Amino acid sequence: MGKRPPVVVLSSSSGEDDGGGRRGPSARRSRTPASAPARSQFQAASGSKKKPRRESSAGRGRRRCSEPAASDSLKAEFDMLSEDFSECFDDLGMSGSIRKTKELWVDKYTPRSLAELAVHKKKVEDVKKWLEEMLMAPKQTVGGWTLVLTGQTGVGKSATVKAIAADLGADLCEWTTPVPTLWAEHLHANSGLRYISKLEEFENFVEKIRKYAMLCPTSTKSKRKLIIILIDDIPVTSGNAAFARLGKCLTGLIQSTQVPTVISLTHYHKSESNDTAMWNSEDLESLLQGAGAHKIAFNPVTTNSIKKILIRICKEEIYDAPEELLHQIAISSGGDIRHAIMSLQYYCLDPRRHSSALATSATRAGSKRRDSLVPRQESYGLSSALPSPCGRDETLTLFHALGKFLHNKRETNCDFDIDLDPFPLKEKLRRNSLKMDVPEKILSQAHGKVRTVTDFLHENVLDFIDDEAVDDAWVVVSYLSEADCLLTGSLFTSYNSENMAQLIAASVAARGVLFGNAHVAPSRWHTIRSPKLWQTEQSFRSNKDQVLKERFDCSSSCVSCNFSDIVTEFRPLERWIGPRNDEPRSSLLPHGIGGSLLVDKLDADGSLDEEDDDEIEEC
Amino acid sequence: MAAASSAAAPAPADTYDIPWVEKYRPTRVADVVGNSDAVARLEVIARDGNMPNLILSGPPGTGKTTSILALAHELLGPSYREAVLELNASDDRGLDVVRNKIKMFAQKKVTLQPGRHKIVILDEADSMTSGAQQALRRTMEIYSNTTRFALACNTSSKIIEPIQSRCAIVRFSRLSDQEILGRLMIVVAAEKVPYVPDGLEAIIFTADGDMRQALNNLQATFSGFRFVNQENVFKVCDQPHPLHVKNMVKNVLDGKFDEACSALKQLYDLGYSPTDIITTLFRVVKNYDMAEYLKLEMLKETGFAHMRICDGVGSFLQLSGLLAKFALVRETAKAP
Repeated sequence: MGKRPPVVVLSSSSGEDDGGGRRGPSARRSRTPASAPARSQFQAASGSKKKPRRESSAGRGRRRCSEPAASDSLKAEFDMLSEDFSECFDDLGMSGSIRKTKELWVDKYTPRSLAELAVHKKKVEDVKKWLEEMLMAPKQTVGGWTLVLTGQTGVGKSATVKAIAADLGADLCEWTTPVPTLWAEHLHANSGLRYISKLEEFENFVEKIRKYAMLCPTSTKSKRKLIIILIDDIPVTSGNAAFARLGKCLTGLIQSTQVPTVISLTHYHKSESNDTAMWNSEDLESLLQGAGAHKIAFNPVTTNSIKKILIRICKEEIYDAPEELLHQIAISSGGDIRHAIMSLQYYCLDPRRHSSALATSATRAGSKRRDSLVPRQESYGLSSALPSPCGRDETLTLFHALGKFLHNKRETNCDFDIDLDPFPLKEKLRRNSLKMDVPEKILSQAHGKVRTVTDFLHENVLDFIDDEAVDDAWVVVSYLSEADCLLTGSLFTSYNSENMAQLIAASVAARGVLFGNAHVAPSRWHTIRSPKLWQTEQSFRSNKDQVLKERFDCSSSCVSCNFSDIVTEFRPLERWIGPRNDEPRSSLLPHGIGGSLLVDKLDADGSLDEEDDDEIEEC
Repeated sequence: MAAASSAAAPAPADTYDIPWVEKYRPTRVADVVGNSDAVARLEVIARDGNMPNLILSGPPGTGKTTSILALAHELLGPSYREAVLELNASDDRGLDVVRNKIKMFAQKKVTLQPGRHKIVILDEADSMTSGAQQALRRTMEIYSNTTRFALACNTSSKIIEPIQSRCAIVRFSRLSDQEILGRLMIVVAAEKVPYVPDGLEAIIFTADGDMRQALNNLQATFSGFRFVNQENVFKVCDQPHPLHVKNMVKNVLDGKFDEACSALKQLYDLGYSPTDIITTLFRVVKNYDMAEYLKLEMLKETGFAHMRICDGVGSFLQLSGLLAKFALVRETAKAP
């Protein structure tokens, strides 16, 4: 299998030499991905070189192609390699001593064929069809060479492209940012280091693709070499000017490239990025689409396919994870397969598995040393149903805690003596004691954000209240609204005071639900829904974005008019004046201004939104 | 645990200089107190290598940094110095640094045992700008076979999603009182601190699940008074005495409103700020054994008072008003 591009090992943290990677399949297991032939040949075949060579910081070589084999031999070679590859792969399923590998499972189980992808078949088919079409398309076609993949993080955008490229036998060229020069270094530079901004580098790169794409040794032979460019790492820009530059650069790329180009854009919720100065993916997306890129949106991976993958990995790792654990990991990952695999790897670090092969009982808990010193409150392990918190945002234990609060299990016998009670309460306000820990303790173990907890409680609590008990609903909702008020809190907060406000709000919410729900609905199976409020808020936000955008389009002069003016006066007027004026508006939104205005508004409107919700639910 | 304390007991001559927090910082993962599940898993990593990328999140003083440092030491041993890059909020961690320093480090060649990786420790990662985090994203992926990342933060939601997606999240929760007590006993024994039990109890109360604070308070009390009892602890930590506050609440519940008010006045005259008083009051109410309804209402009122105080209305009147509201709650709830 002659031609293999030289792979430079960056860190010899593996104690093994790279050259030894060509022995029989049995020896392959314990190697780094770069040295394992299966991997490196895969790279040679697909050209997706994740391992950058060492290079000077001046920033050469930002576009990587594996060295082209003579193109006519390529196909044959590829066939051979893929054969070999599948052989290796079979081997991977068989061999037993995998446990000691030192890769991340995420890397180890990167999908290498289409069948392995967890992404929905149809999406994969879409992408593949598009790529095939593009690869077959005549060179002279102008425009339409770009595909934008969007979706939240970890849904397999890049993996899909890589797998398809391997499947089609195309070379995948990735944009890898070179190591930059520090600004400080540049200032003291007598070493000839030049400071180049990321954006500039990216621009250069794009420029090169546009110019030199034709020069690939493609037209010389009958068989064309297939190349796909994958841009995953769009530089971070801040501020209008830089964003505009990036936009211009990408637009140029889209309009003039003649090689199938895939840009992958990660969506993430805007509320989570704390500085608004950064570009947001939606702006960029609409910009790219405006420039004529084809878009395929990826949905979160379904729980079932995540589970399937997890089970497969477990099988290959020879780890018999309980079904329940896998299920929970799959659910709590929220459609993010990468995180699910990461979590699985973490959870498979089972202390019991090594320390006590003989005593596998789940009751034998954790560390032996500390047991003597600190009394355990709860036995750790599977017996407590929920192994421990994981998941990206919603944690497993959060649901556990919510379930406790909502089901509101209490002692049934109310035989405590009223006379002996030092402080007798009214009949109505008396409650039996709780069959659980103190709510504060449950809350602290739940690791959830207080906002999340209250939102969840608010969404779900009505299901758990008896249909007749409207009074209870009043009480519960009024406590929740008070908790909400406490959460929103004051404007000037330090970490400490905020922390305390959160603690109080959490206990008020939890205790309010516990106390108010005096007539628990007969226990049925309820699924805990995620708050509709969030969707409402999201759509509200995007609506507002839309409105603001339109406003900036029609008038650049009045900057200071406020949001309600726009909605109540400006828009009706606009609609009235020009009903036919529905041309696609320019998608270039002056970014910074929009962002800052948005922030001003958020607080006032967010609470408004919630009040509406309350009213609806109370009716 | 015993091993740790014996290891960290140098000659008594130089004991005054080192903060106990540092002196008794566990050096092995197994010695980290509390969060047994997380710690047990980290122990496995320490033994077997192949650390996945981790995000450790939890409130301050629960052992995040300690366990990650210990883990790095155990994994890398003598090559710690060259194979670990530790950056915290006090270091420059802008976009440039992430791109340059971390990437350079990731490309560095270090000879390590099989199964070991270079480790980048980013402490207080939630203070990194999202731009810098974005820049980290690809680096994490590309060099994953030589370099692993460990991020410690207080709130994991301040880490951008792409990074969260690439890491396993390890959550730390507040330590229980027993766990803190266990550790305090060891330190007390090693330092030969004279104490009475209620002194330690007071320290645990002031620490509120934060081991660092507990040790600091212990040391401060010891170096100030050479004796740990309740009074000294509260003098040093200068919080309103919880017993005093507790009495106040008790008086309200017993219907002795005048006495409660004078107790409050006394506290206020001692110079405690309303924030101090209300913080203690909250903790006391939270742990006070009373009927469910009363507790709920009192917590609620405390919350609102706290909110007003944070808004700047930190007057004595607010605090008295709070007591009055407590009394009102009691009146409405009381059976005729």
